[in-house]
Amino acid sequence: MTNALVLLLPVVAGIALLQRRRLYAVIGMAVFSLLLAAVYLLAAAPDVAITEAAIGAALVTFIYVLALRKTGRLVVAASEVPGLIQREGDGISGLEWVILQRLAHAVGMDLVIRFVPHEEVGPMVLRGEADIAAGGLVASDIDQGVLVVPYPLPTARFRITGPASPGEQHAEPAGPPTGYFADLVDAVRSDEPVAVTLDLARFLALTRYDLSAYTVERMEGDLNYALLVSFGRVDLHAQLAELIDELDSTGRMERLIRRFVE
Amino acid sequence: MNGSIGIIVAISLFGVGTLGLILRRDLVIKLLALGLVNTSAILCLLSLDSQATSAPPLLVPAYTQQMIDPLPQALVLSAIVINFAILALALVFVMRIVEQYHTLDPQRVEHEVEEERR
Amino acid sequence: MNRSIRRSLYITSIFALVGAFCAIVWHGFTYAGAGSASVQRWIETATLLGTRNVVSSIYLGTRFLDSVLELLVFAVAVLGVRHFLDETAPGSTAEPPDPSSESHVVSAAARLMLPIVVLLGLYLAVHGHLSPGGGFSGGVVAASGLLMAAIAIGSAPVSRRLAPPTALERIEWSAMLLILALVVAPVAISLPPFSPLLPAGTVGRLASGGNVLPYNLLIAIKVFIGSWTVVQQFLRHRGGI
Repeated sequence: MTNALVLLLPVVAGIALLQRRRLYAVIGMAVFSLLLAAVYLLAAAPDVAITEAAIGAALVTFIYVLALRKTGRLVVAASEVPGLIQREGDGISGLEWVILQRLAHAVGMDLVIRFVPHEEVGPMVLRGEADIAAGGLVASDIDQGVLVVPYPLPTARFRITGPASPGEQHAEPAGPPTGYFADLVDAVRSDEPVAVTLDLARFLALTRYDLSAYTVERMEGDLNYALLVSFGRVDLHAQLAELIDELDSTGRMERLIRRFVE
Repeated sequence: MNGSIGIIVAISLFGVGTLGLILRRDLVIKLLALGLVNTSAILCLLSLDSQATSAPPLLVPAYTQQMIDPLPQALVLSAIVINFAILALALVFVMRIVEQYHTLDPQRVEHEVEEERR
Repeated sequence: MNRSIRRSLYITSIFALVGAFCAIVWHGFTYAGAGSASVQRWIETATLLGTRNVVSSIYLGTRFLDSVLELLVFAVAVLGVRHFLDETAPGSTAEPPDPSSESHVVSAAARLMLPIVVLLGLYLAVHGHLSPGGGFSGGVVAASGLLMAAIAIGSAPVSRRLAPPTALERIEWSAMLLILALVVAPVAISLPPFSPLLPAGTVGRLASGGNVLPYNLLIAIKVFIGSWTVVQQFLRHRGGI
């Protein structure tokens, strides 16, 4: 009987290593380990059998499965933009928020939103600390190392500089002063000098205040808003693209845009 | 277990593991194949002096047949533990590669490393 | 040479090599008849040392140097795992996920089974010189019991109740130092190192087998802490390959 079991070993190993999905290969090797432990026992090596069963079948499989799993949370790094994703009282509202909620519901995971300054959003996704980046990102802002999912809301870039005091050089526009949009709003309200490049949603939110002291120029190019997905989550990327297509084709995207942005 | 069959199976497991190492294009499965090669060496060591009727290496009067040679088993115990430790460390390296290059395809990783070096 | 030709070349060459080796084994391999002579020698060693498990008298007795160096390799691998997986980028707001099962049945069952599994590991380690098992398997079994509990109720509660990581590291390395001390200590009584300090005792009792029992315990502690560290690092990592 031991001979039969031993001859079964290469068959199980071959089947395990030929699998397409990594999880199945790992489980196949766990079965192989158990079979091997049985063979060791029947070949009069009980010490080796116990050690092989404990290490090969249990610990090695645990470690591989732990490395291969995906955690059950969707971490989103976002910078606050009124209309797209913003805090409202105790909750969050906005166009991108609705899209993200539907995505989380579709994949069956919990949604966790971390509000960070605008410059931190891209690096967080690149580092893998967040799965998705949101908050009024333009499709060409960061395009290496992440997967881009544009959604059909056109935007443009606006450069706001000023107010210029005589003799002061025009500073090169960067982003909102501290990265948080609320600080930019405060700066504009108190007529402090800023030099920023903004996208459409932020600009629209800013036009509620008095911009007469500032120089506003609209830069060339038609761009689209996008959500960024971290490279390790290709399945999320596919699902998000599908969701946005579906929203677009059923007309709900237009309704959402009308509700939130205009 | 007949010794010859054990050695033959060990050699074929070595072959299966090496084939898996060369032909599969996924770093995790390459690691599994490497562990398989390790295991095949262990099986070969254990089956060198194995006959169909041997008693396990315990000094218990209940076993009457000839005792199996205990030396390979002692050597093999350390080998199994080291196998696990090295595999865990290699898996950690694979996870770091995934974090940095976002792919599990070794050819793409080589490609990106070449690009960086340039 | 394009890819599919290269692929088939690999396959055929490996099949040919494997087939050649198998043919050699099947036709030409004769056992050197190591059989009774060397087995007698190991039986004598075991009776001299006082253990019932002959294998443990080898790797914890005459060939203990291999086991010490192998423990060192294991410790270095654990060190490597801890170093490479422990980094969280400074200033990041993402904390490591803590997976735990939401089901009460699973967590209750794990809480019930944890002491049993740890006891089983301890039994394997302590009775290493009397029945198959030993320090390595005992430590690994106990660590996998902890892993089961950590999967069920989260790794933070388990690690909080066990010990802080710095204390665990200290215990691990002091176990290693104790092993080295036990190895070198016979020099003080003008015996060669690696010779047993404790008496052989009567075969079959717990207090027998020379140094094998303390060695088994220390090795079990070391392997347990090392495996638990590795497993905990993997648990706290985000995964997602």
